[in-house]
Amino acid sequence: MVRKRRDRPAPGLAAAPGPAAATAVVMVLYITDSGPNSVQAIANLEVICREHFQDNFRLEIIDVLQYPLRALADGIVVTPSLAKLSPLPAATVVGNLSDKSDVLRALGIVQ
Amino acid sequence: MSTEPAVIPSNTAPSGTEVERCFKKAILRLVKGGPERLAIEAGQIDAVIDPASGNAILLPAAQRALIERKQAESVQEPHRLAYAILDALGTPIAVLDQAGTVLSANQAWRAFATTHSGAGRSVAVGSNYLSACADFCGTGPVDGMAIAAGIRQVLSGERARFHYDYTCDSPAGRSWSALGVTGTIVNGKACAVVSCEDITERKRGELLLGLEFAVARCLAGAVSAAAALQSVIRAICETQGWDCGRYFCLDQSAGVLRFSESWGVPSAVVEQFLGKSRGMVFRPGAGLAGRVCQSGQPLWILDSTRGAVSPTALAPETGENGACVFPVIADDKVIGVLAFSSSNVREPDDRMLQAVRSIGSQLGRFLQRQQALDALRRSEMRFRALTDLTCDWYWEQDSDFRFTQVVGSSAFGTADTLGLTHWDLPHVVPAKEGWAEHRSQLAARWSFCDFEFATVHPDGKHAYYAISGEPVYDNLGAFTGYCGTGVDITKRKRAEIALRESEARLRAHGRPSSD
Repeated sequence: MVRKRRDRPAPGLAAAPGPAAATAVVMVLYITDSGPNSVQAIANLEVICREHFQDNFRLEIIDVLQYPLRALADGIVVTPSLAKLSPLPAATVVGNLSDKSDVLRALGIVQ
Repeated sequence: MSTEPAVIPSNTAPSGTEVERCFKKAILRLVKGGPERLAIEAGQIDAVIDPASGNAILLPAAQRALIERKQAESVQEPHRLAYAILDALGTPIAVLDQAGTVLSANQAWRAFATTHSGAGRSVAVGSNYLSACADFCGTGPVDGMAIAAGIRQVLSGERARFHYDYTCDSPAGRSWSALGVTGTIVNGKACAVVSCEDITERKRGELLLGLEFAVARCLAGAVSAAAALQSVIRAICETQGWDCGRYFCLDQSAGVLRFSESWGVPSAVVEQFLGKSRGMVFRPGAGLAGRVCQSGQPLWILDSTRGAVSPTALAPETGENGACVFPVIADDKVIGVLAFSSSNVREPDDRMLQAVRSIGSQLGRFLQRQQALDALRRSEMRFRALTDLTCDWYWEQDSDFRFTQVVGSSAFGTADTLGLTHWDLPHVVPAKEGWAEHRSQLAARWSFCDFEFATVHPDGKHAYYAISGEPVYDNLGAFTGYCGTGVDITKRKRAEIALRESEARLRAHGRPSSD
């Protein structure tokens, strides 16, 4: 079943339109409409992507108020949550992504 | 499973610190632990996904934020269309509260405030318009106090509307604006809607129309070509704010433009400039005037300091910063060139070019007519001179042969003659009956030459006259009377009479006596 999803790139974020390159980071950010922590998470992720990925990433933003089953199916418990799908290993960061070092570690940028 | 969003209704939303704390505890029971629990406790979570239903349960802060946003959107929604319409309007519009503070302004107002000086300057949203008006008091063409007073009257309900026209100086030149203030009620409070409409195009059109009328008046009342040229140049200068103007007449025989007339504002610089122009001659194609003469098209040189044209194209000829030169045309031919000089010359619009062509054409027709009149006047003078040499007086009669005009040294006074016919003249010989043959000639509209008649002076002596005349017809061919000349032939006639009498005496003396 193909589910509708909401791609909502944040201002300044360029989600790659086609298949990501081999080294591209693929992420899904689960948010709640314009909740304060969701807005904060998008802003924090924007900064990180600009600093570390340039255009070499693919980001999907899912609003759980519109697509609640998607979060449940993906095992997401709270929003905002950022799931890194590739490259492996997969990782999940919860919260507004204000702890930058925690996010960088989850994304495999720093050890 | 349902795909509907799971937002907790606002009436069940937790409020108050104690309730929120209880709600958070309930939420925490849904979360097993680990980083999710820590994030909830750190206040970094907006919603928790209910593992049973899949619905998202909003945490209090997120729920409040969403409700506030939706409320704000619902309040703004009805006004969005109004704001869009206001922004789409080209006229700058702002709303002032009772204190004169700008509550709201459309896009055109904001753009106007950044590009113009005048009443709209620096009066952004949140600023006080009445205070800004006070800055204009006595500093320029805008009477800020009058504007402020008018706005206060509208805000207090003393008047429904207030209108004020004023001028602004911007890099593009002088412009005119019409300030309109209308009272209204916003949220139960009196407000004023201020609009600043740009009426520059209309004003310039009115000025040019006025100029065209002024030129027509000048030409209608002018007694000579020189007077007409001076008054027209002056009218154009005063309307357009130009310093001086010169007329160069095309000398057809020499094929050059010669300085003819000028007018300038009273200034030493202008007088010096015009003084240098006297005696100037341009060949067609040479200089601004020559180029206009050759092309028959208006030429505009803007202020060289604005970088519109090369100053070298202008300076040698005019000595001024800007110039406007246009042809004076009659019968589709250039008969002269009008050249105006000023630093205020601006780029012409279509209306200006139209006015320039109209004025050039009006003036051309007038000058051509004036030239024809001058030629006719000279011809008449020559004719009069010849008439004076060949006859003693000139006369005109109506269709009943009564004198309407007698010019020259007539033997009988003009005042006594007007209204009379030749045969009605006092003491005329022959008497009325003796004119029958001459009257039949007149009735037949014949020309006559050297018809002789006499008048008897009080001393009994005769004065003799010879008249010649020819019938006159109007444009439709209808007979209107006679005109002709008269000569006093008294001396000749008396000499002839004396000669005849002398011959008669001689014959009488030479005849042999019968005694």
